[in-house]
Amino acid sequence: MKAAILRERSGALLLVSPVIIFLAVFFLWPLWTMVTAAFVDDAVSKVLPRTAASIVSWNGQGVPSEAAHKALVQDLKAASDEQALGEAVRRLNSAASGFRTLLGRTIPAVKAAPDPAQVDLLAVDPRWNDTRFWVALKEAMPPYTDRNILAAVDMKRDASGGIVAEAADASAHRLIMLRTLLVAAMVTIACAVIGLPYAMLTASVTGWKRSALLLAVVLPLWTSLLVRTAAWFILLQNEGLINRALQAIGLIDSPLPLIFNRLGVVIAMTHVLLPFMVLPIYSVILGIPRNLMSAAQSMGAGPVRAFWRVLLPLSLPGLLSGSLLVFMVAIGYYITPALLGGANDQMISSVIAFYATGTANWGLAGALGLILLVVTTVLYAIYGRFSTPQQVPGA
Amino acid sequence: MFRALQTTFGIAVVIFLLMPIFAILPLAFTSSVFLNYPIPAYSMRWMHELTTAEVWRTSIVNSLIIGGGATVLATVLGTLASLGMRKGALPMVGLLRTVFLLPMVVPAVVLGVGMQIFLVRIGLASTYLGVIVAHAVLCIPFVIVSVSAALQGIDPSIERAASSLGARPVTVFRRVTLPLALPGVVSGAIFAFATSLDEVVLTLFVAGPNQRTLARQMFSSIRENINPTVAAAALLLIVGTLCLGGLGALLRWRQGRKTAAAVA
Amino acid sequence: MRPFIQFESVSKAFGSLTVVNALDLAIKKGEFVSLLGPSGSGKTTILMMLAGFERPTQGAIYLDGKRIDHLPPYRRQMGVVFQNYALFPHMTVAENVAFPLQMQRVPRAEITRRVERALDMVKLEQLKDRRPSQLSGGQQQRIALTRALVFEPSVILMDEPLGALDKQLREHMQLEIRELHKRLGLTIVFVTHDQSEALTMSDRIAVFNAGRIEQIDNPQVIYDTPRTRFVAEFIGETNLIEAKIASIDNRIARLSLGAGLSAHAHAADGLSAGQTASFSLRPERIRLGMAPEGSNALDMTITDCIYHGDHMRVQLTRDDFSLVARCERLAGNWTVGAPVVASFDPSDCTVLAQ
Repeated sequence: MKAAILRERSGALLLVSPVIIFLAVFFLWPLWTMVTAAFVDDAVSKVLPRTAASIVSWNGQGVPSEAAHKALVQDLKAASDEQALGEAVRRLNSAASGFRTLLGRTIPAVKAAPDPAQVDLLAVDPRWNDTRFWVALKEAMPPYTDRNILAAVDMKRDASGGIVAEAADASAHRLIMLRTLLVAAMVTIACAVIGLPYAMLTASVTGWKRSALLLAVVLPLWTSLLVRTAAWFILLQNEGLINRALQAIGLIDSPLPLIFNRLGVVIAMTHVLLPFMVLPIYSVILGIPRNLMSAAQSMGAGPVRAFWRVLLPLSLPGLLSGSLLVFMVAIGYYITPALLGGANDQMISSVIAFYATGTANWGLAGALGLILLVVTTVLYAIYGRFSTPQQVPGA
Repeated sequence: MFRALQTTFGIAVVIFLLMPIFAILPLAFTSSVFLNYPIPAYSMRWMHELTTAEVWRTSIVNSLIIGGGATVLATVLGTLASLGMRKGALPMVGLLRTVFLLPMVVPAVVLGVGMQIFLVRIGLASTYLGVIVAHAVLCIPFVIVSVSAALQGIDPSIERAASSLGARPVTVFRRVTLPLALPGVVSGAIFAFATSLDEVVLTLFVAGPNQRTLARQMFSSIRENINPTVAAAALLLIVGTLCLGGLGALLRWRQGRKTAAAVA
Repeated sequence: MRPFIQFESVSKAFGSLTVVNALDLAIKKGEFVSLLGPSGSGKTTILMMLAGFERPTQGAIYLDGKRIDHLPPYRRQMGVVFQNYALFPHMTVAENVAFPLQMQRVPRAEITRRVERALDMVKLEQLKDRRPSQLSGGQQQRIALTRALVFEPSVILMDEPLGALDKQLREHMQLEIRELHKRLGLTIVFVTHDQSEALTMSDRIAVFNAGRIEQIDNPQVIYDTPRTRFVAEFIGETNLIEAKIASIDNRIARLSLGAGLSAHAHAADGLSAGQTASFSLRPERIRLGMAPEGSNALDMTITDCIYHGDHMRVQLTRDDFSLVARCERLAGNWTVGAPVVASFDPSDCTVLAQ
């Protein structure tokens, strides 16, 4: 009896484990890698371990002791991994500008010296007398950092280690996050305003009309996102169909700016995400008994009151889960803003992509990605609570 | 009055939903170098360009290789998992199912960043295998949803009947469960292939120049130098997905008819 | 004679819920036994344990002297007909019927022959290449039956097989199954919640309530002399009246029914004088207007008369005591308000423990 259950359970586990392993390795692990990239900062300490050990005791005033100089020279002499060294240099240069040229002169000199003990850093370059570089070196030593996550919300640590706001013009992450939320909200509202009446209309008609209305929702879902974005490009550009048509009927003289701005992004994203709004509302409305409206009217409620008091409140769960779904997908959007938006319409995904692929700043990309991941996960958890499980996005 | 308003609204939304798709298709046959109306004359030059230009041709081949690989991987893994989660023998199946569907929810850029760092570390960056694996992660949820639905549609007493008629568990699976779940597996595979075909963001992060897919090529073409080849590629994708979608719908319809009969 | 199928103090619990409670049941070879009871009474669980889909929590099940409760379903050789037929939707009718024979590795030529013969027997030869979805409910039912019979199993188990059919078809299929049972000498265990189905078809009926057998007997005994209140109420219609036992003599009890009326009735086991008991009397056993020698006779008043087409239901009252009688027609002078004598034989009514 017990053995039979155990056998069945281990059989089931055997079937499920390949996916568990696959997703653990190729889904959860990469996400974890991204999160650690935001907090791990060992580019310098990995290359300069002796310096790291000796500079800890330095109080940050003046120049560290001779021992620290010796340790740095030894580390530089021993550093054989060009790539790791390059990364350390990049990291240090971002903390104190000029570090690249300083090390560019120091490293060859150290490498060339026959006996590292004889090398005097101050003789190689007098800039080693500058406290600024030693402070940058010391601050780059701890293997973990909150620098990236602070930078992601436009904050930094000042010289005394306190958390302060970044200079207003130095960074715009908060602005971009606000913009992301704003665009997502605009798209969600647009989807709700169009989607709710459309879903109600679809549920209220029958036969070929309903099929046609549903097909119009499902057909775009089947169509490639790239195709739809390209199509909006064609429609919205200055010489596009919409401007041509408006000019032809004499409504406007010069083309309206519809592309490379916020309007174009919102229109195209609304088009892409509208099905995610219509389908949940539609399935909720289908579950409402048809005779409820008649019942309300038989009790003296006019059509408007019956709608307001009966149909609308009963459709709200669908509206809520549709809105959550649209908002959740919208805040992570990349392709549509990237192709149809202007410089001032880039959302957080674009910034993440910029840091990751453009400047190889994994730390900041990871920190911003972590914020986006957390917000999305929270929205998904809320969505999971509010919506019935059969409604699966995209399927 | 109200009815007229309703009808106008309905038609307006349908136009909004469908116009882009239908607007792009004729441009695949324009003779102009601009992706724009009016079409001066119809020609096959961009279809020809799509199939002969090196970048486009290799991107189509890449899409087929990567899509095929990701589909096979995701379909096998997803089908096994759906079978395992079916009988309720496992504890916490609900949690498991939620985790399995997460790749559908996590923003593609977030997964892209993580995947890029990770694949560089394990040496799979800019390889076909790396891109296939990354796509498969996104495809698995679709397979699981589709196969689970198909399995749920099988009346358990049909399998009991087979067992009572002398079929051993393996035979029950081979002769009854699998044939009945097959349409779900196939439509899951179709979803997976369509997902891989359309995937851009992850590809941007993990693929090297040699793994450039059709969607990736369309992306950079729209971004950098838009021309009617994009419309030709769009036509190819639309016809492709419609064929796949039609096939899937046909299978679902047949399955629906079968299960309806089994319940009746 | 050793029973063919035997349940020996079998219990089945799902978690803390006990569905079958220390069941003993013996079925002879060639017998048609119905398991009858309301839903949740455990009858389907018993069938599923016999078929091998559920394992008893306690006890043993024997088939032909061999213990089988540890055997998987596919080694039990029992033909099961499911409530919804469970035909394989992806196979044709012929493939469905051939399936159990293929499982037994019967040679191909013989399979073809036996499938044809079996389909011929239920007169569905012409449908052999159809899919189940293309058949009517009755045809599907017959194919399910054929599939369960074709491999000549030792026992046929049926789980409410006629529940989905309309009334006429159901009655037709009842006759057909009865006929097959007689002709092939099958041992059939038949689960149903339809008492008339159980009464018409079975050799014996086991009436279930809350995981226990209330009574197991042939249909006539079950109907005429129910042993418990539950059986009396569940099978057919009855007047169930609280009565006081004045005396018991040779299994005939003298009862005082209230309103000054008294009657003699057949007494169940374990009753004694002075006890309050339930008096059960079937409406159709009541005669109006005559009182033969030795019968109980009660002076009542007609208070209501309901027309049912083929019969009438007459409400009889005396003070706070009332009975429902069933008769074919009423004499002309019996109208509402008229006095009438209601009589019944002591052997036609029973006294049951409360």
